[in-house]
Amino acid sequence: MKRMVLAAIIFCLVFGAAAAAQEPQYGGTFRYGLTTNPRGMFNPVLYTEAYDAYVIDLVFDGLISIDKNLQPQPKVAKSWEISEDGKSITFYLHEGIKFHDGVELTAKDVEYTYKTILHPEYTGVRYGSFAILSGAEDYKNGLTDDIPGIQVIDDYTIKFTTDEPFAPLLVQFGYGILPSHLLKDIPVGELETADFNRNPIGSGPFKFVEFLTDQHVILEANEDYFFGRPYLDNVVFQRVALDALPIYLRQGRVDYAEISPENYAEVSAIPGIDTYIYEALSYSYIAFNMRQERFADPVVRQAITYGFDRETYVEVLREGFGIIANAPIPPASWAFTTEGINEYPYDPDLAAKMLADAGWKPGKDGVLEKDGMRLEFDFLVPEGSRVTEQMALLFQQNMEDIGIKVNLVFMEFSAAVDRVDAREFDTFTMSWSLSVDPDPYGIWHSSVPWNDPGFYNDRSDELIEMGRRETDIEKRKEIYAEWQRLINYELPTMFLNYGVTIAAVNERVQGIETEPGPTGPLVDMEQLTEIWLKD
Amino acid sequence: MWRYIIRRVFLQGIPVLLGFTFLLYLLLTIAPGSPVSHLRGVPNIDEAVIAQREAQLGINEPFIVQYTKWLGRVVRGDLGLSFDSSRRPVAELILERMPATILLSVCAIVVGWGIGIPVGILSARYQYSIFDYIITFFAFVGISIPSFFFGLILLYIFALKLNVLPAGGFFLAGETKTLLGYFQYLLLPTLTLGLSDIASVARYMRSSLLEVVGQDYLRTARAKGLSENIVVYKHALRNALLPILTLMGFMIPSIFSGAVIVESIFAWPGLGLLAIQAVNERNYPVIMGINLMFAVLIFIGSLIADISYAIADPRIRYE
Repeated sequence: MKRMVLAAIIFCLVFGAAAAAQEPQYGGTFRYGLTTNPRGMFNPVLYTEAYDAYVIDLVFDGLISIDKNLQPQPKVAKSWEISEDGKSITFYLHEGIKFHDGVELTAKDVEYTYKTILHPEYTGVRYGSFAILSGAEDYKNGLTDDIPGIQVIDDYTIKFTTDEPFAPLLVQFGYGILPSHLLKDIPVGELETADFNRNPIGSGPFKFVEFLTDQHVILEANEDYFFGRPYLDNVVFQRVALDALPIYLRQGRVDYAEISPENYAEVSAIPGIDTYIYEALSYSYIAFNMRQERFADPVVRQAITYGFDRETYVEVLREGFGIIANAPIPPASWAFTTEGINEYPYDPDLAAKMLADAGWKPGKDGVLEKDGMRLEFDFLVPEGSRVTEQMALLFQQNMEDIGIKVNLVFMEFSAAVDRVDAREFDTFTMSWSLSVDPDPYGIWHSSVPWNDPGFYNDRSDELIEMGRRETDIEKRKEIYAEWQRLINYELPTMFLNYGVTIAAVNERVQGIETEPGPTGPLVDMEQLTEIWLKD
Repeated sequence: MWRYIIRRVFLQGIPVLLGFTFLLYLLLTIAPGSPVSHLRGVPNIDEAVIAQREAQLGINEPFIVQYTKWLGRVVRGDLGLSFDSSRRPVAELILERMPATILLSVCAIVVGWGIGIPVGILSARYQYSIFDYIITFFAFVGISIPSFFFGLILLYIFALKLNVLPAGGFFLAGETKTLLGYFQYLLLPTLTLGLSDIASVARYMRSSLLEVVGQDYLRTARAKGLSENIVVYKHALRNALLPILTLMGFMIPSIFSGAVIVESIFAWPGLGLLAIQAVNERNYPVIMGINLMFAVLIFIGSLIADISYAIADPRIRYE
């Protein structure tokens, strides 16, 4: 009897513990399903594909990391200090962080990483992000061997300086830090073919184990990780055919995957799978070629926007996966505003009236004309997305209702990019993926090549430049709010929708971010150090 | 015979390959789109950086210079570096995917011919029987159905509804490679790829055998009292197989190119995905490398067909 009571007590204890098993457990393999396999360029300064970045984020640590609200958080740098004049950032590194081969990470490695990006023979694409550092341009052009803008103060302190205050700089220091002791003897021009890129060694929470082309990447827990060993034993990126992804999720062969809106209904109905829908840092648009006189008047661009039923586009064609956009900074960003933003609700009568008031009259065939200009134009549409193609048809129909003739030109993506680059378009549709910092310079300043619509506006340039210089985030917000109102009035492009991403997660995965920001439930892989698996 | 082979290779093969690669490279460079188009998505990228990249890849030079340089490298056995961010040697990219594609293609050939030939023979032997009609019907279905559609149907039935086979891929990370595993992963893609072969081989075999069966010497064989089975299987079959041999030589490359589509449905880690990706990204060296390989395969295939024909048929002599 006594024994039975004892057994019962033990049973209760064990069972109780199991019931309250919110204690994380160690072990297990987390499988991330990818429909496109990484390329095998696992070098933080050289990769360009997002899928390579997934692996890099886990194998390498940067000076800072980005949290779910897109704010910088300490990582390899335990803290940083921005000088009063806003021209320099000093990072203070943790002591004792080790690369996977046991060698300590110091400020020398940080210097090597960023100096490589600025090197004259550097083959990657990140130079533009750091060209602002003092002396970077001279170094890039081979005029000097020294960059005053990068200064190692001691083993654990490094200072970056710019000639002008540059607010977007801080959040760019997330690139994984390279081990200089393994790479410094390789000429920078030959770095892209180095074996290191396929067998990377970083200081991150997971060690690289294996990459099998078009099959998988295997990582294992870094037992000596500075910030504590991850709960997971392994992380696997498993390549899955797009059509087979729902089956893989159902069979439990992958624990996590981003899915397309077409698969949402099917996947969300699978028992044991949770889905998360979150805002992405992206938007889709229709650009007007403002170099053409007929698009020069903002009234025309506004009327076209009033005349397009974007609600039907988002709610019906996109099945609600998207948010109607009216300015180029998405709600996921801290700089987003709705204040003073015109929503341009669908109103064909208003659109027609605006055009009539501006002097546009129907010609013989009913198409609006004014001073020899006609509102008949080509609409360049990249092929490949059913939703985009349907959107184009809807646009054509809606425009016909207000006397505008749209000729659809469907084209393979790369070919469409060619036409846009050559400015041989009337209107086109594409989307932008944005960086963490809301700085719109790279897309909207009148001096940049990606300003496809040809939007040249002094006030806009002025605000963009002010935003880059202002280090106080509240003041920056105000500057960007005014800029958004300006763009919202001018409409060099018609904004269609902000993007959303859908993630599917197996319920056995514990510790994910359940209210994800644009970085998703895994917070750009950051959360994998916290995640554990319930058996 | 050797003189014939040497003549075929040097007088026919090499000029054809030269012309083919020249035209292909020309098409690639005049086609719209550029290998650096994808850099558009990179935030803060400089125009100078893009120009630098174009120079590194050599695509800022005129077509004829690009082609000559490419050819010069190929002659020395170097297919160049891929244009994508990994910058890996093209030969390496192709070689590491070859085994998977060869495995799948060989299985599809074995299934296609292993089933197609006997079915065609039986169909001819029992011409106009119910069996023949059923085979003919399915052969037409098999030839007509697009392989991607058939593949998706197989996935839907066997992976999703019945849940008895994996939904594509090739061994999960950490999975032990058992014989049963190979069978499970190979079954659906092999059937998808082999289906149209089963169908067309069966049709060829049937008509070839029927043609032979009507010949005079078989009438003689029957006249001297041999049983129909001996007439067909011993005397007719060997002669009927001749045209099929030629067919095989030409079908080997088409199996490889068919694999491109099937591989992308089943996430099969072979050349198919590489080829599709390369075309989308205008990755010239990879496109050239893969196509050169296919061109060589087709040439070898047709050469083998001709030679085996000569071996099998004493009436044919190459001088």
